[in-house]
Formats: sequence, C-alpha cells, structure tokens
Amino acid sequence: MHIPDGFISPQTYLPAYAVAAGLWAYAARRVKRDLDADTLPFLAAYTALSFVLMMVALPLPGGGTAHAAGIGLLAVSFGGWMGFLAISLVLAMQALLFGDGGITALPINALAMGFTGSFAALAAWKLFGRLNENVALFLAGWISIALPSVLVALVLGIQPLIAQSAQGAPLFFPFGLEITLPAIVLPHLLVGIAEGGLTVLGYRYFARLRAKLAT
Amino acid sequence: MNRDRAALLLYLIAVLAATLIHDPVWLAAGLGLALLASGRAAAGILRRALLAVLAFNLAISLSYAVMAWLQDFSPWQTLIRLNLRVLLLTVLSFLFIARANLFRALDFSQGLTYVLGLAYSQALIFRRAHEDFRLALDSRSLRRPRLIDRYRASAAATAWFIEKSLHAATQSAQALRSRGFFND
Amino acid sequence: MTDIRYRPIGADAPAVLQLTDVQHRYGSSVGNAAGNPAEVLRDINLTLRAGEKSVLLGCNGSGKSTLLKILNGLIAPTAGRVSYQNEEITPARLKEPGLHRRFRGEVALLFQNPDAMLFNPTVFDEIAFGPRQLELPDIEARVRHWAELVGVDTHLRRPPFGLSGGEKQKVCLAALLALEPKVLLLDEPSAALDPRSTGWLIDFLADLPVTTLTSTHNLGLAPELGSRALVLGEDHRLIYDGPIQALLGDMDKLAAANLVHTHRHRHGDIEHRHTHVHDWQ
Repeated sequence: MHIPDGFISPQTYLPAYAVAAGLWAYAARRVKRDLDADTLPFLAAYTALSFVLMMVALPLPGGGTAHAAGIGLLAVSFGGWMGFLAISLVLAMQALLFGDGGITALPINALAMGFTGSFAALAAWKLFGRLNENVALFLAGWISIALPSVLVALVLGIQPLIAQSAQGAPLFFPFGLEITLPAIVLPHLLVGIAEGGLTVLGYRYFARLRAKLAT
Repeated sequence: MNRDRAALLLYLIAVLAATLIHDPVWLAAGLGLALLASGRAAAGILRRALLAVLAFNLAISLSYAVMAWLQDFSPWQTLIRLNLRVLLLTVLSFLFIARANLFRALDFSQGLTYVLGLAYSQALIFRRAHEDFRLALDSRSLRRPRLIDRYRASAAATAWFIEKSLHAATQSAQALRSRGFFND
Repeated sequence: MTDIRYRPIGADAPAVLQLTDVQHRYGSSVGNAAGNPAEVLRDINLTLRAGEKSVLLGCNGSGKSTLLKILNGLIAPTAGRVSYQNEEITPARLKEPGLHRRFRGEVALLFQNPDAMLFNPTVFDEIAFGPRQLELPDIEARVRHWAELVGVDTHLRRPPFGLSGGEKQKVCLAALLALEPKVLLLDEPSAALDPRSTGWLIDFLADLPVTTLTSTHNLGLAPELGSRALVLGEDHRLIYDGPIQALLGDMDKLAAANLVHTHRHRHGDIEHRHTHVHDWQ
C-alpha cells in the first residue's frame, strides 16, 4: 500500500491533507486528555513501535513474506486516536527522514491505514471481544489491512477520472477501478489473514510479558 | 525563518508545482533544475531515486503499455509524463533530505521536534534490534523454518518491541518531569 | 593470573574458521545525509583453530558484533573471503541445503541480546528447536541434559519471556549447545550477567570441548575467557592477535584500542593519574 509520489493528483491530496489535518488536531487533543503530561513520550514511543512493526516479517503460507503493519495491534493495545497519530508520524518520518514513500501519498495513507484501519480494528475488537478474544484479535488484524486496501484502491482507481489531459489521457495513476480493486484488494485480503494471525500471537505474547512484569 | 524551514517550504512548493505541471518538457526541465541544485551529489541522488521507484514504476509502465497495445492507442506521452513526474518528485525528496535538517525546520513547535526526535532515535535502535531478531532466526535455522516458527519469531519480536516502547515511554516521561519540561 | 586452563593451540591444529582480507561497510541509506557508507571492518585476516579459546576485544562500536556475524555467515562482507574448514562460505553457497545444514549445525552464535533468539512457547521447545531440526533421537533426554548442565531444568515448562536476563542467556546457550556445535561464537555474553553468573559462565566455557570466540570490552574478564586475544582497534582494524598475557602488559596497544583509561586518583596524600583498567569498565 506504499504509494510513491506522482500517482496522486493535487485534486485528491490537497483535500485529503485538509481532512487529515482536522483529524490530527482532534486526535492530538484526545490523546492529550487521556495521557495528560505523558502524551509526548508515549506518542514518540508508539511511533517508533509502529515504525518497526512495519518492518516485521509477515510469514505467508508457501514461504513468501509480506510486511506487517501492526495497525490492529496498536489500536487494540493503545486506542484508535493514538494509533492514528503514531501511524501518521511514521509516514511523515518515512517520507521526510528515510526517503521511503511519498509526501503526496501521506494523507491518503494516514486516512486509510491510520484512521480507517485503526478504528475498524477497534470496532472489530469491541464487537467480537465478548465472544472470543482470539477471534476478535484476528478480525481486528484482518480488517485493519482489508479495509484500507479498499480505500487505497478507490483513491487510485478514480485518478484517471479526475485528472485527465485535454486528449483524455490519464495524468496520474493510469488504471481505473476495474483494475485497482481486484489488483490491490485481493492480495490484501490474503495478507490480512497473515496480519490477523500475527495480531493474535503478538497480543498473546505481550499479555504474557505484561503478566510477568506485574508480578 | 531559519535556512532549514525555508528549505522545507521550498520543497513543498516544488512538490505542488510538480503535480500541477503536466507538460513533459517542463517536468524534464524541473528534473534538470533539481539535479543542478544537487550539485556534486546529483549522480548519487539520481541513482538512489531511480532505484527507489524502479520496481513500482516498471510494473505500472509495463502493464500500461500492454493495455495500450491491446486497446490500440499510443501510451508514450502518458508514460513519459508519469515516469518523469515520479522521478522528479523523488529527486526533490532526496535532495531535501540530504540538504535540510527536518528537526530544525520544525523547531517552531517544541512538542513536535521532541516527539519526532525521540521517535527517530528510538526507531533507529529498533531497526537494529529488528535486524538481530531476523538474523538470530537465520542463525538457528538448519533448514527452512516452518510457518509456525516464522510466526512465533515475528510475534516474539512484536511483543518485545511493544514492551520496549512502553518502557522507553515511561523512562522519557520521567526524564521530562525531572527536567521540568511541560507540554505546550 | 596463571593460565592453566587455556593452553595455546599450536599452528598445526586444523583451521576451522578463516577470514581473508575482509572489509565491511554498511550501505549508505538516504537518511544518512553525508552519504558516506560507514566503515565497520578493515583488512581483517584471522584463523580460528580447532580447540582454541579466543577473546575478541574492542571498545563499543569497533565492529565486534559485525565480525561475529560475518564468522557466522549471517552477513556477507563487502570484500574478502570467509571459509569454514577450508570451504568458502558465501550467501549463494549457504543456499545449498547440505552446506547450510552442516554450517548452521556446527557454528553457533550467541547473540548479545538473548531476546532476539527466543521465540518458542516454552523453554523446552526452545532447547528442542535445534535437535528437532536435526531429527535427532531422544529429544526429551537431550533437552533435559543441556537444561541441567546450564541450570534451567526447573524452568522447562515456562515461557522463556518470563525469565530473568541471565536465565534467558542460559536457555539460549543450552539451545545452541543442543546442536553440539564445533564452534561457539559469543557476543558480549557477560554484559547482562551479575558477578555470580559471570563466574559460572567462565567455568562453563572453560570446560566446554568446543572452539570458542568470545567478545567482550571488559579487559579484566578477557584472560578468563581465552588464551588468545584478538583486538579490534578504533580504526576497525585488527591491531593485535596473540597471547592474552602479552597484550595485558602492552599499555600502548590497550590505550589505542580504548580498552584502558586514565583518571585522577589518590594514594594517601598523593594525587596522580595513569593509564589503568577497572573490572567495572
């Protein structure tokens, strides 16, 4: 879901920045209210955490490997607003410090992965948590990948419609929804399964660690 | 305004311009200008930018060329524009990273520089630790590890990183208080 | 300090691991604004012989960990040759299942951070991980044997994450030894240990019938870990390779490697400064 710069039109990324900026401001207030004086250190730590979770290998059956995102795990462990802010900061860090991923794709990814991914995961966790913790964790991980991939596919797929040259040629991402939806969403439904598995295992290991620290 | 903040502003304006201009000639001119501004680092920046966008752009360009061939239209104008734009934007980003100090560019907000600085240094430490987790599994594996082992290894690393970040957060919160640094 | 446990190994003992003209630098990332790749190792030539107990000394950042990872075939050096029992080890050659299995089974590395090595649900599974891959018989008995030897046999059913730092390291050690390796590389094994565990580790390694190379930045500990010293200088070159006792008398070498320090101190009424070392360094 890492979109380089140059595939998203300004008609898309400028409004996306406006929406994201509003949500960032609100999220900052929410997180500050919950954590009081400790907001900044915790935000920094979870940003670094989110950064490294995106490097963790997500084993796929058959020997392949994808990269984890850790969105579900972050949201379930530390809340949706914190997850949204941390993921947004990671995207900024990657774009402006590591040269990885684009500054114009940043608000799209922040809204898709950070905002939608976090809150969808949280909703799955709350909805199914009473039924079975493992199922809820798995679904939180799965939907935190699946739903953002649909959004990214939609945003990319509408580019040829909203940014065309006088001759009707695409100016930015050149493929329509009929290609982006299957090409982006289908693989992510699979990657989501692997992410779901990692969310269950990662949360369980962490719970054990925490139990040890408590004694 | 300090030099780094001016550089950030200039970079953002250049990015906006590069997405508002659609004539390949102007995009190429912009690329030339950006490389000229890179001075002696130009070759290195161009090489790294090419490497960074190669896989994604090659996949997109080839698929588009095939689609054009099947539907019998000329893809060249679109492909040249698209690839020039992506390359220009990537070169601009790398030039900004090489020349400007992001932390100084953002020092108007004490909170933001604090969070970014702390997150960045922690991220570098985590990146090294992550490499060790990966190598340790390699080192202990006499054959291709089973799927369940790979899951367990990733999950153990994940849990370790969560624990370390909680610990780091608590430590830096205490350090903040002892230094009398309050949120803005 | 008498050196009775560690007899020097003659030059006629077979070479096990060998580095020839090894250089290593880490690639420059975009984030590295200077764009200069960092030099980590320069002109490294060394031969580890069967049965030898060696110590790798160097200050923090001198490249000890990288050197051990290169010897373990985990990192391919930018230039130079790594060989094991006179066979060249390259990433491509390590893909051959036969060599991979033999090399990984016979050369083991204890990471500085034991957490990096632990991922199994119980201590038992952790120690059994190697023998199971080798499809060895009597897994249960083997695991018990090694667990008892390092003293973690009461923890076999517990998850490794719940253990203390020292216990974790013992579990890692047992997990590696369960493969019955020929060479054991240890990266700063004493860094996380309390004095009692450090004493235990020294005795344990001395009695271990395998070739060992142990890295440390603790000069006081070095003669207890081996008879041969390899010193990485701050310029990332091997600046000493020889008997440890001779090294300990060479203050210039030690100062060059940043292994000793100078500060003021008092003897009665006289305050003076000279180069020396503390055990806590």
